[in-house]
Amino acid sequence: MSDQQLNNLIKMLEQIIANNLHQGDSEHVAAVAADHLHKFWARSMKQIIVTYANENPTGLSAIAKRAIAQLDVKV
Amino acid sequence: MLHYYNPNTQDYQPGTSALNPDFDYGTAASVSQTLVSIAVDGRAITVPEGTSVLRAAALAGINIPKLCASDNLEAFGSCRLCAVEIEGRRGYPASCTTPVAEGMAVTTQTGKLAKLRRNIMELYISDHPLDCLTCPANGNCELQDVAGVVGLREVRYGFEGENHLHAETDSSNPYFSFDPSKCIVCSRCVRACEEVQGTFALTIEGRGFASVVSAGQSEDFMDSECVSCGACVQACPTSSLMEKSVIDAGQPEHSVVTTCAYCGVGCSFKAEMKGDQVVRMVPYKGGDANHGHSCVKGRFAFGYATHKDRIKEPMIRDSINDPWQVVSWDEALTFAANKLKSIQAQYGRESIGGITSSRCTNEETYLVQKLVRAAFGNNNTDTCARVCHSPTGYGLKTTLGESAGTQTFDSVMKADTIVVIGANPTDAHPVFGSLMRKRLRQGAKLIVIDPRRIDVLNTPHGGEGLHLALRPGTNVAIVNALAYVIVSEGLEDQDFITSRCDNEAYNTWRTFIAEERNSPEATEGVTGVPAEKVREAARIYAQAGNGAIYYGLGVTEHSQGSTMVMGIANLALATGNIGREGGGVNPLRGQNNVQGSCDMGSFPHELPGYQHVNDSEARHRFEAVWGVTIDDEPGLRIPNMFDAAIAGTFRALYVQGEDIAQSDPNTHHVEAALKSLDCLIVQDIFLNETAKFAHVLLPGSTFLEKNGTFTNAERRINRVRKVMQPIAGMEDWEVTMALSNALGYPMHYNHPSEIMDEIAVLTPTFTGVSYDKLEQLGSIQWPCNDENPDGTPTMHTIDFPIGKGRFAVTEYLATEERATRRFPLLLTTGRILSQYNVGAQTRRTSNSDWHEEDLLELHPSDAELRGVKDGDWLGISSRVGHTVLRAKISERMLPGVVYTTFHHPGSGANVITTDNSDWATNCPEYKVTAVQVEVVSQPSEWQRDFKSFDKRQQALLAPAMQNRDNAHAASLK
Repeated sequence: MSDQQLNNLIKMLEQIIANNLHQGDSEHVAAVAADHLHKFWARSMKQIIVTYANENPTGLSAIAKRAIAQLDVKV
Repeated sequence: MLHYYNPNTQDYQPGTSALNPDFDYGTAASVSQTLVSIAVDGRAITVPEGTSVLRAAALAGINIPKLCASDNLEAFGSCRLCAVEIEGRRGYPASCTTPVAEGMAVTTQTGKLAKLRRNIMELYISDHPLDCLTCPANGNCELQDVAGVVGLREVRYGFEGENHLHAETDSSNPYFSFDPSKCIVCSRCVRACEEVQGTFALTIEGRGFASVVSAGQSEDFMDSECVSCGACVQACPTSSLMEKSVIDAGQPEHSVVTTCAYCGVGCSFKAEMKGDQVVRMVPYKGGDANHGHSCVKGRFAFGYATHKDRIKEPMIRDSINDPWQVVSWDEALTFAANKLKSIQAQYGRESIGGITSSRCTNEETYLVQKLVRAAFGNNNTDTCARVCHSPTGYGLKTTLGESAGTQTFDSVMKADTIVVIGANPTDAHPVFGSLMRKRLRQGAKLIVIDPRRIDVLNTPHGGEGLHLALRPGTNVAIVNALAYVIVSEGLEDQDFITSRCDNEAYNTWRTFIAEERNSPEATEGVTGVPAEKVREAARIYAQAGNGAIYYGLGVTEHSQGSTMVMGIANLALATGNIGREGGGVNPLRGQNNVQGSCDMGSFPHELPGYQHVNDSEARHRFEAVWGVTIDDEPGLRIPNMFDAAIAGTFRALYVQGEDIAQSDPNTHHVEAALKSLDCLIVQDIFLNETAKFAHVLLPGSTFLEKNGTFTNAERRINRVRKVMQPIAGMEDWEVTMALSNALGYPMHYNHPSEIMDEIAVLTPTFTGVSYDKLEQLGSIQWPCNDENPDGTPTMHTIDFPIGKGRFAVTEYLATEERATRRFPLLLTTGRILSQYNVGAQTRRTSNSDWHEEDLLELHPSDAELRGVKDGDWLGISSRVGHTVLRAKISERMLPGVVYTTFHHPGSGANVITTDNSDWATNCPEYKVTAVQVEVVSQPSEWQRDFKSFDKRQQALLAPAMQNRDNAHAASLK
């Protein structure tokens, strides 16, 4: 993992969330974002973001953390 | 579909009811439902009302001589050769301009008619060079044929009088010449330029004997407005307008119908051949996408196939600093397979991947994604559609349930209002652009939503279009404003919404869109488009009758590309413009097989037919046929591959027919990723920019060298037929198959038709597709299955694949890429008519005569502010890079917006584009880059590095190419 790769993943996730804020309350938006990651992100991308969120979640919004928590990946 | 050359035959084998596309019936078909019966020379024939006598006779098998008539043009009645006698009528009416009438009795051959026709021909020939034996049209000349048919035996007037025999030939166009001495002034070329192409570049200058065909205002063809589409050359009945390739090589002896490999229109062409040499490409009248029309690329720019730069042998090297070493196919494939296997052994199954090409056939892209999924054992497959139309897939699937456009191209002829958003059809999809212009000349209204004033707004005799010149990056704001007007002014089609759309989704959307913040007045400050113009556009579209939307990469290549696609679908659903001819949502696909490469499962999350990899039922069907377990997790997309390569977890890549080093954004980042790879396998026809970073170079084959199918922007599957042997001995699908076998995953196909048979088994929308059916029908628009055995020209006529149409909320979010004091201008990029994408093909043809370098277009006010003059060298800086291009001052730009193309690698257009991307698909935001521009005196640092890297890589290739040429020379001895 590189900083650039991680930063891009964080940016992408926050962008997904920003474009789905209209979907409802933060819980629902987090579920929508998690579903998007589930459908479109590679396993390795999900592993990186989950690992990061578990270790040092700086720079992640509350909704992003909640979305990541819903991902079902082994790290 | 092999044709032996016989231009006069009306016999036509394929199909049953179709007319012979190789035969000219004189005038166009009438679409009337009322039938009229007449007798021609005693032969009864029933035809639609409005049919000309000339056409009716041809349909009855009676060929009336003609010279000025052609069935792709309006009847003109100038040559008078088609004169006939009609019972009860006086004189000798021209059969081309005379419509049939019930009970009409026509006689085409009498002594008087024969004399009349001979007299006309005598006059023509008295001013025509009698050099038939040395004329390039010899054997394929309508004038010669008609002289024979009318029995011309003498020219009583002699050849000494005033004539045009010494008129000077205009050879300015690189592809065809105009020899006025051979011209009979039939006006077919002028009419073809007007009626078929819609450019109006040609005219007849002078009157009577002084009449001559003139390009522009007595200019050379090259200096005129001529766009070199070839329609005039096609229409010419003599050799006055003639392809230089035919002048050089002589008339072809056979032809093969195939599909053009440029752009998403997918024109059918007859490759006219001498042995295995293409003499010319002639647009095929039987092609359902183009009906016999063409553009400068497909018609003329095929010389790259035999260019000296072609890679003809496999090559390998351990490092990109080593010279290329020519090896056998076996050696190259074993080398590649061993590298891939050892990388996977060391770094894991997911450390390698592949990229399919939208320039290759359906069968080839299918095999590459199968190779990745079955032989690599992961889903790390992606395609160049990632960087163009991936948001179309996401947006249309979400709203309409299928990742494809809804119409045929011909549907535009029933549109009452045409909306063009972020597309430039006259340049990027020229043959469809001509059809659109034809409809505009018939009176359809035009709305263009684009920062630039594109040429379709300047359609001669096309009425005045409404141009919403929005600021780059504000698409969603404007589509919401249009929808706001439709909702707030009661312009919705409530019947359609109630019966065809999901009620809950509609109500949610309607509540959102009706908010005041979406109104044209509220968004005017964001978009820069006056509110009243937006209201006018919304009213015109919603009240059109048939409203059709055509869009391109100006929609998709944004941070909200997918949102905008959904916004477009919302407009069509709200106004009921779906499910019938004349309306629809029509993505104009960039490359020839973008639709097909997406259909074939190139994306990392989808198996062929857009079946998600985590859909276990779909996955199990593939697993049963492929004999492997397929990963149920999506793979890496192209930008994710680059990030992973730089991070060191992605180590090898197989790229078929795509030049990511030139075409993808943020070149520094792409180059860093490519340099990080342990093994890059490039399969291409040239040493492209990506190949300069490769370790294995596998020779690709052009569309002329292989069999397969392309699927165009209207979902039309068209056959690609081999007209010459592949230059390195293998078609692209054979190379992928051999690589798979070398990796230990067996693939055995004898012909691409067998690959299509497998696709049909596994893809619900393709179950009825086969090569036999393609031969029978000519082409098929998918879905083609039990419900739609002959294909589906118009989609969603009864319901949607998801049942009801789903409105989507499209909240506008400004892109992070904004103009600032440091970078005050916004750059957009695009294509030009004569060049094609990265230019690898067109730059190796004379098309470069029209566009030899990429230029930076900027508005006069921005130029004045910076002291820029036309032709100045300009440094263009963004937050990621810097490059230098020459200035072109252009009124078509908005102030504050600059534009360039990316056809030449040394331009470095993508050095300055950023890696911002669409939120849903990662499609890059090519259309919005904040830049500053200043006059400079030298190339950029990147350009200097590029030049030296290119020189080094060419030097590493040169010995291999030289050895090959020496070996070839020796074999000739």
